[in-house]
Amino acid sequence: MKFIIIASFFIFCSAYSANSQDSFQSNNVVAKELYKELRCLVCQNQSLLDSDAPLALDLKKLVITKLEDGESKDEIKLFLVERYGEFILLKPTFTIKNILLWFGPLIFVAFGFFITFRFFRKKNLVYSESSILTKHEKEKLEKILDRDLK
Amino acid sequence: MKKKYSYLPLIFFFILVLFFARQLILKEDPSELPSVLLEKSLPKIKLDKLSDYKLFNKKNLLQLNEPSLVNVWSSWCAPCQIEHEFLMTMSRSNNIKIFGINYKDDKQDAIKVLKLNGNPFYAIGRDDDGTQAINLGVYGVPETFIIDASGNIRYRHVGPILEYDMNNTILPILNKIK
Repeated sequence: MKFIIIASFFIFCSAYSANSQDSFQSNNVVAKELYKELRCLVCQNQSLLDSDAPLALDLKKLVITKLEDGESKDEIKLFLVERYGEFILLKPTFTIKNILLWFGPLIFVAFGFFITFRFFRKKNLVYSESSILTKHEKEKLEKILDRDLK
Repeated sequence: MKKKYSYLPLIFFFILVLFFARQLILKEDPSELPSVLLEKSLPKIKLDKLSDYKLFNKKNLLQLNEPSLVNVWSSWCAPCQIEHEFLMTMSRSNNIKIFGINYKDDKQDAIKVLKLNGNPFYAIGRDDDGTQAINLGVYGVPETFIIDASGNIRYRHVGPILEYDMNNTILPILNKIK
């Protein structure tokens, strides 16, 4: 039991640590574009370009090698998606599977407008109806006003 | 008419509660990636020989014709040292064939670990520059794959295999696909 507790401390401690080697900094424009679009899987909210994690350096090296081999941007992306899943792409693909991800926010905004619209229209309706006095009410009001004047 | 809409916020609230509850109850680690290689054949891997240990390649894995484990490890990785004990248990007591991928390691250090703590590996190979691990979709060590008799990946375990994982995940899956 004690062992499991101690061991569990290590689960989340990544075996990788960031170190600064800039040896793969490349001038290749396509490579840089790709780095920006790919996620570093160690520090998961950074792109490969931002990351100095050893795995990120390895992936950058792989991208360069593949580009030198004449592979296209899409081919390299496909290679990585086949191994790491779509998660490695910082921008999700525009597919049916991701449709809610792309249009979800829009649906919510539209729904919000709909609710707001209904809410205010009804409020106005109630207000305008009540502001119109019936003949009976008008006579009553005049009476009260006249009485006060006297 | 007005009543119908006044319940909407409440309904939204409960939908939100359900979303949060799911995350709380399942206790999934969102940083853990699901393997896209699941149910797919183990990719071809080209490893270098480590000293005179039997070299791991896909051929000798397929020749076994039984479920096996592929473990990515390194001598510099602390969780791997913890896991080592359970790899030993599985290979010794449960007679499970474990294939090792020694990830970006120093040759001498790797041999030292195997001499000191025992060698749980049926065959082993060195992945010097980490390219073979990338081929497998590995993004941290240790990682373990369960491979069935026909060479397909059936399960991926990210992080060290502890006693609990061994008894509740790894061994049951191995038994199931036998």
